[in-house]
Amino acid sequence: MSEQLPTTQKKTGLSFSSKRSLTGWGFLLPASLLIAWMSFYPMVRALILSFQTGPGSRLTFLHPFYQNYARMFKDEMFRMSLSNTFIYLIIQVPIMLVLALIMANLLNNKKLKFKGVFRTAIFLPCATSLVSYSLIFRTLFANDGFVNTILLNLNIIEHGINWLGNTGTARFVLILALIWRWTGYNMVFYLAALQNLDYSTFEAARIDGANAFQLFTRVTVPQLKPMILLTAIVSTNGTLQLFDESWNLTNGGPAGTTMTMSHYLYEVSFQKSSNFGYASALSYVILLLVAVLALIQMKVGDKR
Amino acid sequence: MKKVLVLALALLLTFSFVACGSGSKDKDASSGKDGGDSQTLNVWCWDPSFNIYAIEEAAKIYEKDNPGFKVDVTEMAWDDLQTALVTAASSGQTEELPDIFLCQNNAFQKNVTNYPDLFVDISDSEVDFDQFAEAAVGYSLVDGKNYGVPFDNGTAVVALRTDILAEAGYTLEDFTDITWDQFIDQGKVVLEKTGKPLLSGIAGESDTIAIMLQSEGSSLFNDDGSVNIANNEELKSAIEVYQRLVKEGVLLEVNSWDEYIATFVSGSVAGAMQGCWILANVQSADDQSGLWDVTNVPKVAGVSGATNYSAQGGSSWAISSNSANSDLATDFLAKTFGGSVELYDNILPKTGALSNWLPAADSDVYNEPQEYFGGDAVYAKIVEYAGKVPSVNTGVYYYEGRDAVSDAITKSLGGADIKTALKEAEDTVKFDMGQ
Amino acid sequence: MNSKASNISAYVFLILAALCSVFPLYYMAIAATNTSVDVIRGTLLPGTHLFQNFSNLVAGTPLGIAMKNSLVNATSLTILSLVICSIAGYGFEIFHTKGKDVVMNILLLAMMIPFASTMIPLFRMFGQMGLVGSTVAVILPTISTPFLIMLFRQSSRDFPHEIIEAARIDGLNEIMIFFRLFIPTMKSTYSAAAVITFMGAWNNYLWPRVILLQKETMTMPMLISNLKAGYVTDYGMLMLAVLICTLPTVVIFFFFQKSFAEGISGSVK
Repeated sequence: MSEQLPTTQKKTGLSFSSKRSLTGWGFLLPASLLIAWMSFYPMVRALILSFQTGPGSRLTFLHPFYQNYARMFKDEMFRMSLSNTFIYLIIQVPIMLVLALIMANLLNNKKLKFKGVFRTAIFLPCATSLVSYSLIFRTLFANDGFVNTILLNLNIIEHGINWLGNTGTARFVLILALIWRWTGYNMVFYLAALQNLDYSTFEAARIDGANAFQLFTRVTVPQLKPMILLTAIVSTNGTLQLFDESWNLTNGGPAGTTMTMSHYLYEVSFQKSSNFGYASALSYVILLLVAVLALIQMKVGDKR
Repeated sequence: MKKVLVLALALLLTFSFVACGSGSKDKDASSGKDGGDSQTLNVWCWDPSFNIYAIEEAAKIYEKDNPGFKVDVTEMAWDDLQTALVTAASSGQTEELPDIFLCQNNAFQKNVTNYPDLFVDISDSEVDFDQFAEAAVGYSLVDGKNYGVPFDNGTAVVALRTDILAEAGYTLEDFTDITWDQFIDQGKVVLEKTGKPLLSGIAGESDTIAIMLQSEGSSLFNDDGSVNIANNEELKSAIEVYQRLVKEGVLLEVNSWDEYIATFVSGSVAGAMQGCWILANVQSADDQSGLWDVTNVPKVAGVSGATNYSAQGGSSWAISSNSANSDLATDFLAKTFGGSVELYDNILPKTGALSNWLPAADSDVYNEPQEYFGGDAVYAKIVEYAGKVPSVNTGVYYYEGRDAVSDAITKSLGGADIKTALKEAEDTVKFDMGQ
Repeated sequence: MNSKASNISAYVFLILAALCSVFPLYYMAIAATNTSVDVIRGTLLPGTHLFQNFSNLVAGTPLGIAMKNSLVNATSLTILSLVICSIAGYGFEIFHTKGKDVVMNILLLAMMIPFASTMIPLFRMFGQMGLVGSTVAVILPTISTPFLIMLFRQSSRDFPHEIIEAARIDGLNEIMIFFRLFIPTMKSTYSAAAVITFMGAWNNYLWPRVILLQKETMTMPMLISNLKAGYVTDYGMLMLAVLICTLPTVVIFFFFQKSFAEGISGSVK
């Protein structure tokens, strides 16, 4: 992957470099050990659990052991939640990241006034508690809510739309809510990354006569690639594990058509007659999907 | 970075001082936190103006004969309590559980069946279960053994705005002991004359259907626990009634709990059908005082065993088997929630918590006229209803059944055939059960 | 492109975005000044009930305790997390080898499994250690996150290697290079990471709820959850609690934002 490091290593000699590599491992050690202890060990336990069934702590191994996984293929609710989650992923993540990039770029303008106010305002949604945000989105999109009132007054629609009562519109509201909530969050990372950019490349491009749009697409975006990759992986991961909005905003309805995979996982674990074996199997499928997508994104985006 | 760190620490310190200053009062109250204190019971429940208040009042009464007795209540929303219960039970770390916890009636069978080690069998204790409403005891009865002391009464009521009824030429009498057919006919008249639906409900939730179903003495599960959805005639007739209610506009569907409460608090809907605990919400609009009254639920015509009585929700106290004080806990519950008229008299005015313990209904407090409900003694009425509610089996898979039927109703309102939708629902529940 | 026109359109766009973003906060603030019935009826005008809501909140809930617990948990987690993850991220990039890439990819897996499924094993571990209910148990699982490690690794790519080489020749050891050169240079990344980590820890709900079973250890999100648990929700009081719960994150953001967003002020190189 890296082209610059081998050259530095050659310069400094082999014994140094192996000693340095050891120091490097030392740097990684605390974080890696913590992850191994707090994430991988429980993950292994969850894997074992995914081959078992039964309530509470009275678990027994399944015969054949992959029965929980086979069960998924016949599970209508799971199939529904899987396709819902992918719909959200495909529509929401690209829109959100592009919006965040544009906003970060606009806010990075030195001459812009009230920058601090704008930045804080746009960041606010992700600091706002879910309780208030789901309450207000439901109020806005209620049958006699704000949105319907405006659309009716502008004569765009003839009858109020039952936003949260129909599958298509409920998904739309959910995606809108997601974009609203997380754009500011991603913007924060882009703003931080813009700080580290090489200013001279901008000057050079400007002298060459590039306009604002060209500067953005040809200079800013390519340099932000590592950060865009990171946010893309994190957003993909976040969307595939999406729980809050499905739970608070639509409660999965109507008839389960907006429910996400993690919401279903939570229901299987705690709401319904709890079945941790099956829930663990579901979580490994989510893990697999996220991992594959992350791998693709890294292959596409991580060429230095 | 150093500056940032220093600032962060400074911020933390300031905040902690502020917090300590304002929190010192609460600290004193909880400083007597036990451990091995044999006179203190730990309790988990969730509503300060309802069940927390009730158990603290109960402790005061019990303390008179047992000096030094105390309860230490941890407030925990029901969903959280259920999650904590499952987590503790599944990881085998039950030491963290309290002596007593409150459990939703609908989840009681599920929890006892899945985690029998968590519950204490109190069938042979001093609690006299014959003195409780039969339907209320039924929720915590598993394999003929009692695991819970009924607390919160979930008897279903229809609360109506008498002023709106009068506008359409009706009185409460016209809505008492009637069938759903009559209810719908009269509801259409009310809608025509006042523009207001009689009821509202949350789309995609089956509370209304569940009330109708229990009034018919039926549930989604047979007594042996097997699913009873696809060929359940009572369910089918309940769904048909519901569809007509929605189609005729007598029941307004909304999308969330907040919207549902808003429909009658703002006066855009003339009534509500729910467990009697809904009255606390009904009474929150001061400007509607004196305009409400309460009656029983309509019955489904043409079904044998159909009644005008039903229930929705409610909760019961359970004793945790890991409790070192389970004898004390049982005695406490038996002498208060299962034996003290004084307790129920004390808690009724402030909480509206109605008794499932039938002897409490004879007390004067229950027969007092309620100003908010036009001077009617609604509490005595409701306890009388409570004794007539048919007892049904909620089953271990109550939530699976409820969700599957809710989906079926949504689909059938969208035009799908009821029979097919119910068949699918039954298959879904069977799938969930076939682990 | 006309720069004036593009300037105006930038302002219009930003003002619209800011208004949309702030509206729920406005709604929250309005609701906090109204009675519950008025909130439910959908009022959008300020009411006179703010003081009443506040005294109800202080009298009815352990607001001080919850605020203190949330601050202690979130602040200690943020500091520990930043130090441990940035050291690792730096190590991955600066001492880059093929082997470390493999390790990084493995660590990334840890981010991808839903928390709900590792919760039971984690609870058992802490139960066996006798740590249920402790601050340690709340923060330990989220101190080291692949996300932060990766954030610092990606940012380290812009950190000039010549500086490191120069420092090595000057005789600084690797740890001193990290603390004296890397941390001050990467101020913007640290600030962004601090905001995000603090916010995540502050709002974290599921795990603290399960592991903190005593009322003395209650955090703000739990307090809010309890407020809407009963049959009757006091929406005015609830919204005030939500507002109070939002403030610390906003303050932290406001405080840190200068360092991660001052406009491209010149290169670090």
